[in-house]
Amino acid sequence: MLVGLGIALALADSSVVTLALPDILRRFDVEIPEVAWVLTSYNLVLAFAAVPAAYVARRRPVPVFVLGTLVFAAASLACGLAPSFGVLVGARCGQAVGGALLVCAALDLLTEIDGSDARAVRTWATAGVLGAALGPAAGGILTETLGWESIFLVQAPLALVTVAAAWRLRARPLVVPAGRPNVPANLALLLVSGALTAALFLLVLLLVDGWRISAAAAGVIVSVMPAAAIATSAVAPRVGSTLVRAAAGALLIAGGLAALGVLPGSDWRWTIVPQVFVGAGLGLTLSALTERALEGRSPQAVHGGWTIAARHAGVVVGLLLLTPIFTTALDRNEDRALRAGAAAVLDSDIPPLEKLGVAQDVLAVVRNADREVPDVRQAFADRPDDEQYRTLEERLVDELDRAVTAAFSRPFLLGALLALAALVPIAVAGRSRRVSV
Amino acid sequence: MRALPVLVAGLLAAALVAAYVAFGGTSYEPTQVADPCAPRPARETDGTGERIEVVLLAAADETACALGVSREELVLALRSVDELDELADKEGRSRDELEDALRDGLERAVDEAEQEGLIGETTANALGFAAARLPLSLLLSVLRGASSFLD
Repeated sequence: MLVGLGIALALADSSVVTLALPDILRRFDVEIPEVAWVLTSYNLVLAFAAVPAAYVARRRPVPVFVLGTLVFAAASLACGLAPSFGVLVGARCGQAVGGALLVCAALDLLTEIDGSDARAVRTWATAGVLGAALGPAAGGILTETLGWESIFLVQAPLALVTVAAAWRLRARPLVVPAGRPNVPANLALLLVSGALTAALFLLVLLLVDGWRISAAAAGVIVSVMPAAAIATSAVAPRVGSTLVRAAAGALLIAGGLAALGVLPGSDWRWTIVPQVFVGAGLGLTLSALTERALEGRSPQAVHGGWTIAARHAGVVVGLLLLTPIFTTALDRNEDRALRAGAAAVLDSDIPPLEKLGVAQDVLAVVRNADREVPDVRQAFADRPDDEQYRTLEERLVDELDRAVTAAFSRPFLLGALLALAALVPIAVAGRSRRVSV
Repeated sequence: MRALPVLVAGLLAAALVAAYVAFGGTSYEPTQVADPCAPRPARETDGTGERIEVVLLAAADETACALGVSREELVLALRSVDELDELADKEGRSRDELEDALRDGLERAVDEAEQEGLIGETTANALGFAAARLPLSLLLSVLRGASSFLD
């Protein structure tokens, strides 16, 4: 169980800082495309390091697990204490190297603990799904209660506990040659992970930055996804074969993301059902594809390394594709909302000679936001607290909320397309299996 | 039958998206801004401030119509000379053209308001003087704080 905790911690780090991004953005005075590197750097390094780490891990699983965990813990401390954005991103790369070592070595340790390859793979995959799904909610609650630094500072002692557990284990080194990775299953993992980035990264950004919901409240709202993932994981083996589960899960993820792309209103309650779909899809697909990628292959650590590389490469692809699409759409919609907002100001009932000032204050707030989601309420901070101003403020907030919500539409729909694209390699995996039979 | 979960998942996903579209999920359109060349309904005015507002908004409409931009874009550009230059660049015009359009629009709106009896001669003369004579940066300051200048 403690080994599972280590895996969950390392894979939760892929998304755990999502809800902290607005605070990190403000703390280091960076913009959305830059702050995304706190996520991108971790996933990119993990994607590149996973397979080499797996080759190292299969020779000496226990020492590699311990080393990886210590590196991960030290880098987590460095993240929590980072004095600059550059140091934070550098420490995230260190965390990823440690994470790659510990996650890949953990698979061999679990084989020793569980006594069977299949059971070890299931535990390993489930721990990974739980980590990825629980990450945003845990990060949001920690950010709100103790500050974003606590996300990293809490991880260090938790990681060290797993070292104590692993130290007593003995695992056989495996030096058999590694066969070729299961390309269709890993490609499907890459595409599904890219799609999940839209849900885990953009939904949080929409709630916190777009709709001004607190990080803790957003953490509670997005916990619908892990809850659905956990519930589905429990019944997943009864749903069907790995490929049936993977295909059904990809469709649910696509449906949930497409629904997020056509939200009927700027209200968090509209996100609940799509989140259930994405969470259920996540619970079905990730573990099924991981099991499929490792099925009948040896050594497990190396093929496990390929699945980690595929998943985190998918997250990077998702971030690199979705972030510019989102920021471009935000700029365009903000301009349109600004003109509509100016019309609302000029036609409002506030004192006539205040109108130009209010309209231009709103413009200043939007311009100063500079590729962040602006908070037009700032333009009303020094205005009288009467009904005319409140009505106008609500109208402007609504105008901007609708524009921001619409700006998220395309990235969510692109995420849905990535999930649908995963059906192709899943189908290919099914064909190749029939051919080989 | 083995593919039944895939079929069910596909149907559920399609049903969810269809339901969200039916609730108006794809209908985002920002509130449309009015055409500055089209006449606006007349407003009841009460007090000097509201009357001056009507004149300034009419001047904004006149200028925006002449420049082929929306009234809102023009008003937002009145924040400073730099913002006005940005608008001129965007519309492919020179600052002089924009300045002339602004002064002409204000003068026409003041004349019309005076003829309709909306503002008195003193106010009309003050606004007319500002439109014709003040340097651009000062004119923008006057437009932003017209109440203290005229009351």
